Amino acid sequence: MSTNPWLATGNYFTSYKQEQATFHTHLDRSVFTLFLFLLFAWPVFFPMGNKYMLVIDNILIAIVAVMGLNLVTGFAGLISIGHAAFVGIGAYTVASFCRIMGDSHIFVTHFWPVLIIMAGLMGALFGGIVGLPALRLKHLYLAIATLSFQMIFQWVINFMSFFNQGQTIFVGRVTWFTGTVGRKDHYLFWYYVILIFVVLLGFGIRNLLKTKYGRSLVAVRDNDRAADAMGIHPGLTKVYAFALAGFFAGVAGALHAYLYRGVGFESFTLHESISYLAMAIVGGLGTLNGSFWGPVAIKLLDLNVEQLAELAGRYLPSSMNLATALRPFTFGLVIVLFLMFEPRGIANWWRIVKSYTKLWPFRY
Amino acid sequence: MSYFFQIVVSGVVVGSIYALAALGLVLIYKSSRVANFAHGQIIAAGAFITYFLTITIGIPIFFSFLASMIITFFLAMSVERIFLRRLIGEPIISVIMVTIGLGSIIDGLIYLTPFGTENYSFPAFLPTTPLTLGGVSISWTQLVGVIITFILIGGFSWFFKKSTVGISMRAVSDDQFGAMSVGISVPKVFGLAWATAGLSAAAAGCIIGNITGLNFDTLHAFGIVVFPVLILGGLDSILGAVVAGIIMGLIQQLASGYLDGNWGLSGTGEVMPYIILLIILLFKPHGLFGIHEIERV
Repeated sequence: MSTNPWLATGNYFTSYKQEQATFHTHLDRSVFTLFLFLLFAWPVFFPMGNKYMLVIDNILIAIVAVMGLNLVTGFAGLISIGHAAFVGIGAYTVASFCRIMGDSHIFVTHFWPVLIIMAGLMGALFGGIVGLPALRLKHLYLAIATLSFQMIFQWVINFMSFFNQGQTIFVGRVTWFTGTVGRKDHYLFWYYVILIFVVLLGFGIRNLLKTKYGRSLVAVRDNDRAADAMGIHPGLTKVYAFALAGFFAGVAGALHAYLYRGVGFESFTLHESISYLAMAIVGGLGTLNGSFWGPVAIKLLDLNVEQLAELAGRYLPSSMNLATALRPFTFGLVIVLFLMFEPRGIANWWRIVKSYTKLWPFRY
Repeated sequence: MSYFFQIVVSGVVVGSIYALAALGLVLIYKSSRVANFAHGQIIAAGAFITYFLTITIGIPIFFSFLASMIITFFLAMSVERIFLRRLIGEPIISVIMVTIGLGSIIDGLIYLTPFGTENYSFPAFLPTTPLTLGGVSISWTQLVGVIITFILIGGFSWFFKKSTVGISMRAVSDDQFGAMSVGISVPKVFGLAWATAGLSAAAAGCIIGNITGLNFDTLHAFGIVVFPVLILGGLDSILGAVVAGIIMGLIQQLASGYLDGNWGLSGTGEVMPYIILLIILLFKPHGLFGIHEIERV
């Protein structure tokens, strides 16, 4: 049967290979390519100030981290309240190199992609170690195990003089083919680097979910005894999931270290871990595009609340510190409201919009 | 040697506070299988309500202590009714995150008041000279705090063992369908569990506030620190919470008394509970007195 390669009205797959394809129709592929092109091209046409570029870079880094968290919490169903610690492991891998070899050693400045990957592998190693309790524990117990890893990480950073007791450790400027990336282009340069990482890792996770391993993750989440009976090792699957999440977090941490040109303890606290979890939940647990919506939504909300509090703060007595009050309040409110009224997250809205436009104007 | 006994005494004091703070979590977990991550904020709220009633309104401290216990009783009950009731049967991550979100909301509300950032302390109503016995000294606030803690814990154990409501709460924790079939209203029991947890949180907040002073950060940090105590005690046993609380307090004080300053270590008291927690989770995840319901994966 010949099918329209641009629009699909139904399911005409004749092999598993076809079903596993990343794009099912030409329309999907061209829309995605156009979107990707716009992502890469817009800074050329609409240059933005460093302040806004930093916000965008931050969102992209959060996307990398949340993709990992979504893998472990959304797809594998293991609650991790220690994700910021894994991000911190990545960042402090870069920082350790700067500490040992000096922050402008050639390895830090020229071979930074290698260092970022190494930070990811370090995160994966720690993720695997912390995931070991998952061989025996479930649910709440596992959540508290990851929580204790977060607290131990904070203590190690805060009390070891090697890590500067949590004070900032500087990371040097990197060198590109055009020379050292200066102050003016710094955020633009890292926008492109982080975007490339987001695209690569996003494709990686999308393909991973269609492999045997990705499907066994979901199987273990839904019913681990049934998965065990099917010949999947639930424990090992979970440990691998933690290691993979650690890899994503490590990469995010290394990017964070390079973007801020320094590593400090306050970016990897328990509050950040909770914030990553909130992003995954608001975006939609167990969906790939949820990992993109969540960070965008939470970070933009945070920014808006900050501006709103600043604005309102002018008309209120200074003893009411509105900014510190409003941020946790709205943050908590958003989590609670999403969990009560839209537990499937923004990704669900996206799904509804997509199916609406796909069938429009013939809705029935 | 008196140094050692001094550490043991302060360990018991800290431990009994942990036990009281963990009690609320045990009450909630026992009946509804929910881990409440907003407990620290309820503790802080209870302490601040007491302070507000005592200083701003001018009620004698003992009555404001009781009043704040009653207020948090209804506060926690309404929290359960409004937010947690809808989530019965939802996956555990949703429930955990809702309690975290609630904690964040209460954080925001407390930061709106001056209590969020400044330090306060209760007016001294006990003799300020510490009690000394053989080189070991204990202050009156600590002594009275420990005594009140044990009275409260004894009261709660009696409540669960003997009273009809307590027995119905235990029945719900044992088997929800069985409890329903003998005419126990399960939602009502959940509400009551949260309410009693709120009450015990207010008591814990007042006792901690009396011993360490009222500071929001230290008060709500108790909500996280009690989790090691909870796991060591076995999540759903009051006796476990007491024993584990005191063990944790002793470990913490011994660690900071003997490890800090040697080998360049510092702040070991803060991290030791979590290290112990990881070890317990690996080797004896159901804790000292918990029921053996852990599945091997």
